[in-house]
Amino acid sequence: MTIMKSANRYLWIGYTAARSNLAYGGEVIYRCSFLTIILYIFLRLWNVVYAATGSDRVGGLTLPQMVWYLVVTEAIYLSAPRVASEVDEDVRTGRLAVHLIRPLSYVGGHLSRAMGDRVVRFAINLTVGAVLAMILVGPIPISAAGIVMFFATLPAAFLLDFLGMFLIGLCAFWLESTSGLALLYTRTVMMFGGMFLPLAIYPAVLQPILKVLPFASMLSAPGVMFVNPSFLLLKESIVIQGAAVTVFLLVVAIVQFLAMRRLFSNGG
Amino acid sequence: MNRGVEIRELKKNFTLTRWTGFHRTVSEVVAVDGISMVVPQGQAVAFIGPNGAGKSTTIKMLTGILHPTSGNVSVLGFTPWRDRRRLAHCIGAVFGQRSQLWYHLPARDTFELLSRVYGLERSEFIRTRDVLIERFNLGPFMDTPVRKLSLGQRMRAEVAASLLHRPRVLFLDEPTIGLDVIARQLLRDLICEWNRNDGTTLFLTSHDAGDIEHVAQRVVVINHGHVVVDDNVAAVRRKYLGAKILRVQFHGAPRSMKLAGVTMLQESGYEWKLQIDTAIVPVRVVTAAVLDAGSVADIAVEDPPLEEVIARIYSESRREVPI
Repeated sequence: MTIMKSANRYLWIGYTAARSNLAYGGEVIYRCSFLTIILYIFLRLWNVVYAATGSDRVGGLTLPQMVWYLVVTEAIYLSAPRVASEVDEDVRTGRLAVHLIRPLSYVGGHLSRAMGDRVVRFAINLTVGAVLAMILVGPIPISAAGIVMFFATLPAAFLLDFLGMFLIGLCAFWLESTSGLALLYTRTVMMFGGMFLPLAIYPAVLQPILKVLPFASMLSAPGVMFVNPSFLLLKESIVIQGAAVTVFLLVVAIVQFLAMRRLFSNGG
Repeated sequence: MNRGVEIRELKKNFTLTRWTGFHRTVSEVVAVDGISMVVPQGQAVAFIGPNGAGKSTTIKMLTGILHPTSGNVSVLGFTPWRDRRRLAHCIGAVFGQRSQLWYHLPARDTFELLSRVYGLERSEFIRTRDVLIERFNLGPFMDTPVRKLSLGQRMRAEVAASLLHRPRVLFLDEPTIGLDVIARQLLRDLICEWNRNDGTTLFLTSHDAGDIEHVAQRVVVINHGHVVVDDNVAAVRRKYLGAKILRVQFHGAPRSMKLAGVTMLQESGYEWKLQIDTAIVPVRVVTAAVLDAGSVADIAVEDPPLEEVIARIYSESRREVPI
């Protein structure tokens, strides 16, 4: 009963965050327009690349697959909530007190909120992207098993990104500003996570390294699973994601422990 | 006596580390220095002091956010820093400058969420929510997004939200900041009413003397980490009212008057505003001298505003404790 009540409160935070996200129509339209422009620009760029190479496959993907890959990775990337800046603000403005006065875990509260935010944004982004991709390049073969495999990689991808951003936000306990770190983090995810370019396009020597880095687990793994699903890839992705989540959780636990010790003894 | 909050010899030192090149200097700052007090359940206490006096640090220790350097605290039988999450079910907080309502959603949604956060029984929640909606007159804007509410409406909803789980101790941090006179008065009345009817212990911090005067029964003034005054509001007034204000209206131009212990605060036309130091000269002597000075149309003896009393306490405690 207690576990149920505890789960219920975090689910409601997520649900409320999701509703709050839909409440402001203007922002939803802005995000959709931005995604449309980005996807159109990249479609034009990939058209040129495919024409220049004279091949029907680049990095093992056809042009329609490449566009759908981009739809998925962009939908994930652009759905990221501003966790780092929210945690940073909590620490800097003393809003942390508002969170700690509730019978909630600080990280749990932020996670529920971020997931509620993210699921809605991702669903909208994916829908808009899919409609656009259908118009621009048409459908690609998708199986039910492929869809299941794609969705199997999503929770860990979102969780990993949340933990990364939460960790950066916690740095506000020691740093004057975390915005530089956050910028570095998002750009690293973009570059090494395979947002614009699938990892198969990177130099062969880099590919095995990029594959095991947590960034690929956030973007490339679900992207590849959508356009080119396979059980072998899924197994590999889940193992890497599991390891990355374990490491991130451990680091977050240590940093949060140190941060809270600092807060409890010195007031943040 | 049912003790809501008990504080014994509470101390808090902060460690400051400064780097000059590669040289590290560690120093200690005493934020709270041996505070002791008992707040019975149901009492409304104004916990005031100048900026940096140690108010927020004390409240953070009472809510379990900060661990003390030494001393004991019991809030409703809990040690806050050991039982923070369990205590959280029994206390509430309103931060005047920080909202707990979801900005894009109506207050009703935040109420729903809070009922889940505190694990309230559905029927109990609906009953309390409806009582709060009625008492705080939230009905007309319960379904309006918070971003569209006036500050007064939002603050009423904020206070109501913090009462949903019927906390036995409510911490109010500058609850009326930024409100206009009418909204401020309304909110004070609602807080007082809840304190009276529900027996909620109130811990109020505010720089507004009106809040203290209207809401609190007891004033605790803290400065440099020490309690410098701890008494009921009326006693604080009396104790620190070494001065009285005399307002006089004359029918015509009065003769000038000079009396030791009397300061002319304002002189305009046929009106005087005098401050009397009652330790030097009794009010009746000044009144007699004023009646001699001219034909008096109206005369009134007033206490100085609580704001002046507080300012005096702050300045006295500043002189006593070397900075």
